[in-house]
Amino acid sequence: MKNVQRAGRVLSSPRSLFFWLRYHPEFGAIVGTVVVFIGFSLTATRFLTADSLASILTVVAELGIVSAGITFLMICGEFDLSVGSVLGTSAMIFALTSKAGWPPFVGFLVALVASAFIGLLNGVVTVKAGIPSFITTLGTMMFWRGILLAVTGGFPVTYFPKGLPFLFFVLNGCIAGQFRVSALWFLGLAGLLNIVLTKTRYGNAVYATGGNREAARMLGIATNRVKIINFVISAMLAGLAGCIQFARFFSVDPMRGFGLELEAIAAAVIGGTHLSGGAGNLVGTIFGVFLVGMVRSGLVQAGAPAYWYQAFVGLIVVIAVILNTSLRRWALR
Amino acid sequence: MNDRVPLVQMINISKNFGTVQALKNVDFDVHHQEVMGLVGDNGAGKSTLIKILTGVFPPDTGEIYFEGKRVVIRSPKEARAMGIETVYQDLALIPLMSVSRNFFLGREPVACFGPFRFLDKRKMDRVVLDVLSQIGISVRSPDEPVAVLSGGERQSVAIGRALHFGAKLLILDEPTSALSVRETHKVLDYILEAKERGLSIIFITHNIYHVYSVADRITILEHGRKVATLQKSEVTAEEVIEIVRSGYNKKR
Repeated sequence: MKNVQRAGRVLSSPRSLFFWLRYHPEFGAIVGTVVVFIGFSLTATRFLTADSLASILTVVAELGIVSAGITFLMICGEFDLSVGSVLGTSAMIFALTSKAGWPPFVGFLVALVASAFIGLLNGVVTVKAGIPSFITTLGTMMFWRGILLAVTGGFPVTYFPKGLPFLFFVLNGCIAGQFRVSALWFLGLAGLLNIVLTKTRYGNAVYATGGNREAARMLGIATNRVKIINFVISAMLAGLAGCIQFARFFSVDPMRGFGLELEAIAAAVIGGTHLSGGAGNLVGTIFGVFLVGMVRSGLVQAGAPAYWYQAFVGLIVVIAVILNTSLRRWALR
Repeated sequence: MNDRVPLVQMINISKNFGTVQALKNVDFDVHHQEVMGLVGDNGAGKSTLIKILTGVFPPDTGEIYFEGKRVVIRSPKEARAMGIETVYQDLALIPLMSVSRNFFLGREPVACFGPFRFLDKRKMDRVVLDVLSQIGISVRSPDEPVAVLSGGERQSVAIGRALHFGAKLLILDEPTSALSVRETHKVLDYILEAKERGLSIIFITHNIYHVYSVADRITILEHGRKVATLQKSEVTAEEVIEIVRSGYNKKR
């Protein structure tokens, strides 16, 4: 048995490269991240400074937490377009409760529970009504954004604490220079989710549900439950990202998180997660998010107008998926 | 072999889907260590009968006895726990997942690490390679995705899985359709091997010749009714085909 395994893994024959690729859809994102990193290091003079890297990491962490949740959900074959609105709603709840003088921890919990509730709603509606989650969450994306605008009248809410509340430090304080705690949240949560995905029975059930739902059901997997749980995880992570972002700005406007869902999905897809479910992992998403984050600040530093960012990310998504798809075809030949 | 209580007995099973009567008062039984062929044209009710037996949906009327005891099977999971293992044509395995993850899906061995339970990957890989080599299949690695296996290899992984988890009844839904001649023979051999080990097998197919070569008895369904259950020793394959056809003609 050892020999058979070695034959697949260790030998440096082309076969072992095939083998590795089959199980590592994140390959493209890793290469892309390295290339873009080197590219900006050479073209943007201030790219490699601590401040620049810290600002990239700040953006990456908040986007990454959302994208990690989306990745988990996408692997079980569903979508969540409402994460941007959930992020805004959660941040707004945190802001309003903090402003009203509630202890930060209580406000934070309320925001998370509300996010979980939105996720539960997304999941139950999708599963019970048997409609595509694209539609369910398109609806809830617009619904919660509308509520947010209606409740605030379109005005931002700002919170002026006396000193920095401890929870705010835990969520997003600066630990070294401009490096923030949020990066630890992102890497910790993405790592945790990846362990669940690859090393536990639940992870197996998630892959199976996305890979072939009917087959998974026949084999006794509670696919509806898996989907609902993943909707809740995705929404809670978006909610957490909202609170973390609020702990950075102390202010939230009702359009907070607008458009974020597409960026988060883009990062997951760049990282090798299948749009149709059944494949992907968090390692790919981590690299995908870094790629997006680096492009965002790198382009500006390289002297390109900020508007180029969207155009560039758009290109990267399409190229990444073409590469990922052809690599997979080649590997599964 | 026939003097014992049958392993499975389904009595007077009926099932309607809206106005369509999928099964009408069907009696069906499988003895211990027997290969039962289940044949009939599309829409004859073969898969409905099997889905009732595996808990996918309940019958409208009728009773099921398993090892002599009356049972109500509410889900595929319950059927599996009782020892009824089904290998569906396209739904046996998840193509993008590895051989060993597929093999243990829903029943993974875990190792405890404090309060956490992690997949026991080493044990999974070892068992998979053992079981597969016992029935004569070699995979390059248990980490290989099922997508790269041939149709016959996939069927045999699924059959090996049923053997390993101590199935008493193995249900094979069109196991030889879309297989090459050589692979078909291999799968038919696995069916006999499974019977040799004491399992009972229900073999659902369109291909009378395939089922005739391994079956002990053959049940023919037509438009939701049972036309006949035949001892193979009493009929030729051509006669079975004729009954399937004439059963069809009689109706029209």
